[in-house]
Amino acid sequence: MLFVAKRLGSALLVMFAISIVVFLIFFATPGVDPAARLAGRGASPEVLSQVRHAFGFDQPLPVRYVLMMDHLFVTRDLTSYVNIGDKVVPQIMQAAPVTLSLVLGAAIIWIVLGLGGGILATRFRGSVVDPIIMVIGIAAVSLPAYWVGEVVNLITQDRLHDTVFSWVPPLGYVPFAQNPGQWALHLLFPWLTLALLYGGIYARVLRAELVTAMGEDYVRTGRAKGLSERRILWRHALRGSLSPVVSLFGLDLGSLIGGAALLTEVVFGLPGIGKLTWDSLQNLDLPVIMACVLYAAFFVVAANAIVDLLYAVIDPRVRRA
Amino acid sequence: MTAAPLLEVDDLRVAFRTRDGVVNAVNGLSFTVGRGEVLGIVGESGSGKSMAMYSMMGLLDNPNATVAGSALFEGTELIGMPLPKLNRLRGSSIAMIFQDPMTALTPVYTVGWQIVEQIRTHEKVSSQAAWKRAVELLDEVGIPDAARRAKAYPHEFSGGMRQRVMIAMSLACHPSLLIADEPTTALDVTTQRQILELIRDLQAKYGSSVIMITHDMGVISEIADRVIVMYAGRAVELGGKSQVVRSPRHPYTWGLLGAIPRPGQRGRRLATIPGLPPGPHDDQTGCPFRSRCRFAMDECSEMPPLRATGDAAGHLDACWLPGDTRESLREEIA
Amino acid sequence: MSDTILRANDVVKQFALRGRHRGTIKAVDGVSLEVKAGETLGIVGESGCGKSTFGQCLTRLLDVTSGTIEFEGTDISGLSRRQLRPIRSRLQMVFQDPYSSLNPRMRVGDIVAEPMRIHKTGDRRAIQNRVADLLERVGFDASMAGRFPHEFSGGQRQRIGIARALALNPSVLVADEPVSALDVSVQAQVLNLLADLQDEFGLTYVFIAHDLGVVEHVSDRVAVMYLGEIVELADAGELYASPAHHYTAALLSAIPQLDGEAEPERERIVLTGDVPSPANKPSGCPFHPRCPAATEICRTEHPVLREEDGRAVACHHPLPLRVLSRVEHRA
Repeated sequence: MLFVAKRLGSALLVMFAISIVVFLIFFATPGVDPAARLAGRGASPEVLSQVRHAFGFDQPLPVRYVLMMDHLFVTRDLTSYVNIGDKVVPQIMQAAPVTLSLVLGAAIIWIVLGLGGGILATRFRGSVVDPIIMVIGIAAVSLPAYWVGEVVNLITQDRLHDTVFSWVPPLGYVPFAQNPGQWALHLLFPWLTLALLYGGIYARVLRAELVTAMGEDYVRTGRAKGLSERRILWRHALRGSLSPVVSLFGLDLGSLIGGAALLTEVVFGLPGIGKLTWDSLQNLDLPVIMACVLYAAFFVVAANAIVDLLYAVIDPRVRRA
Repeated sequence: MTAAPLLEVDDLRVAFRTRDGVVNAVNGLSFTVGRGEVLGIVGESGSGKSMAMYSMMGLLDNPNATVAGSALFEGTELIGMPLPKLNRLRGSSIAMIFQDPMTALTPVYTVGWQIVEQIRTHEKVSSQAAWKRAVELLDEVGIPDAARRAKAYPHEFSGGMRQRVMIAMSLACHPSLLIADEPTTALDVTTQRQILELIRDLQAKYGSSVIMITHDMGVISEIADRVIVMYAGRAVELGGKSQVVRSPRHPYTWGLLGAIPRPGQRGRRLATIPGLPPGPHDDQTGCPFRSRCRFAMDECSEMPPLRATGDAAGHLDACWLPGDTRESLREEIA
Repeated sequence: MSDTILRANDVVKQFALRGRHRGTIKAVDGVSLEVKAGETLGIVGESGCGKSTFGQCLTRLLDVTSGTIEFEGTDISGLSRRQLRPIRSRLQMVFQDPYSSLNPRMRVGDIVAEPMRIHKTGDRRAIQNRVADLLERVGFDASMAGRFPHEFSGGQRQRIGIARALALNPSVLVADEPVSALDVSVQAQVLNLLADLQDEFGLTYVFIAHDLGVVEHVSDRVAVMYLGEIVELADAGELYASPAHHYTAALLSAIPQLDGEAEPERERIVLTGDVPSPANKPSGCPFHPRCPAATEICRTEHPVLREEDGRAVACHHPLPLRVLSRVEHRA
């Protein structure tokens, strides 16, 4: 319990620090005057000061910070600086399910691919299976997601759309609540595209860990005990090898949900958090940037907390610390 | 001695293919282990003593290793035995304990779990019954508060206690042969004493045979009935413990014994063996010790057979020196 | 010969512990001893007794928490790194692991030359000559200087480490388990080399090891450590023939005896349990939970190291001096 409370406290602290940094970068960067951007090119000084007042830019920084946080978290009516009138919180709430659907679905696939590939490669070390899996893995890692995405689109939406892939729906997103079948169908290729990259990494990491583990003394003990190779691999070597995979998973999941799946989102026309962050950065739209960054920070911190918990489950030696 | 020996090893060879040619890690090793006997194998690192045991047990997973020769355990050939069949022997009839108790247990499972796994691999018993036996075993090897400690993880034990856990696990299925590979080398001297006493007590109680691999002549003296001295993959001397330790016949054994600093003999210059053991790529014909031997002769370019050169029965050595000159020659280098 | 060259006064070394068992442990807990010029002082004890930590305190590789270390009459325990430099050249250390204590990317000649270059003992030529001398002295051909450490075996590497330690003409060598990673026959070569070097250069050794046989063989006097304290300090021969502390007696009886070896009549003492962690050191005498002779006073009162008959022991009930075996041994 204390552990959870501690994690929660540190998560809040991290988010607070991040919000301050973002806020300061935005307002304290010389030459960046949000009022000038808002007022448009060549606005007169009167208009500028009007804008400044209307948005509260003439107040001291701490007050402005508190106001922004109040609008973001308490009244939840923070509005965009660019598309006047657009509320920020609903925008996030709309984009988040898209990203979550994309990333969580892909995560399940890449975990299956990665673990399966790593275990298979270790099991068949010395035969051709191992190098084949590893080459596929490295290829998957080296191909950029947007390129794979574009190629997939080219094939499924264009070249073979009339024949083999006639069942593939057009790009875009259908909410799960609206039609689960269409939701899955729309996300199928985005999932596979994203999962390919991460599955490749995970398979390679796991194989390296497993191969090290299979050379450990306790594996020799297992053989001397008369255990089957299968049992040694699954029960003894695998468990310790999962730790690095789990920590990698935490980092990846946090950053992807936080918006790092941008390229995949753009390529497949999915209006997710990545897309939203990208657009707001283009417009220097502070309220949206702020909301996106805090949202991302939340997931990164949360994912790390979960990783720490999983660590303790996997490895009893961590529990004491 | 009418009963057949428990283990009969004949001309065991382990070779590794390397980039620079074939390396013979074990080069024609033959010996027997009787029922209830403790055989000590002593040698320095690289002498092939562990390698010989691992090859017999199918524990060499180097794809470049080839094992030849024969090892009959209760009349069954171990070399080349298919893995499923070997797995039925390993851990039940033949058990092993290893040098480093810190790493020999899987860190993520409780010691009780690991002993239960050992029992249930070879016997059809309920997990409750196996757990009960695991606790009894831990208690028997001297782990205080065994019922509670069975639920502890390896890192929560000291080195000596972990070695006790290993011993408990190895005894779980009442093996007729226990192979102990430097079981006390990583331990402090007072802990080593405890573990040696434990192995001796358990060996007496259950009548298992033991092969004790060590580099320490003192350990051999404490525990072994018979001794094999290994050098560069070969047995250079074989005999009863007292024969080998008190009246060694091979010049290498002389050097090995003379090099040990013994309490109560301080200030005396230690006898050393000049040079280094032959590397894997050195010439492998003839007596492997001849490059370091003070008494090397022309005959030594041919490998001497392991045979009796003195009067004592069962005391064999592989050296061309005339049998009756050995004692005076040993005086010479002391 | 009996000038004190190195003196430790009540040296304490504390380490901070993190995690759940937050706190401090005293790895070295009030150790005082003197090392006389030209002698070999052995320090023996089991893992965790603080002998290595103490060795590193002696050479100031670790800062002491309290107490002083006097080297050739100067207190070096508070000196800055800069002030230590001239001291370091005269007070050298040899380490246990010949595999990790030599930089694998440096040639052997450079490894041996490095301390001389740092201390600028001479020009390139002079240093080169000295490296050749040193390598020859520890049994190598000078042409080996161009090779890398991985081309050498464990015993050879330890000899290279010794050559490096000798480069600056030290007066004291602190050797921490210098032979424990080596095979017996190679160990004997290194021990003989150390003995020869001592005779030749009049070196003083502090020889730290867990192997009582080795320590007793090389040392003039031996200090036995247990849980950060010296429990006994005596002439090496006497310590072996007639241990005063029950822990020393147990250590001695634990050494596996060669078959038929003449040994002084000695009870076989098998200690129960493990060495307690320094983090929860027993009250009173640190050895009392495992001691066969412990009484009430041992549980409550901490025995001080008292000198008597030339041997110092920290015990409420020391073992009697065994006169007979002592005479026998001297003969």
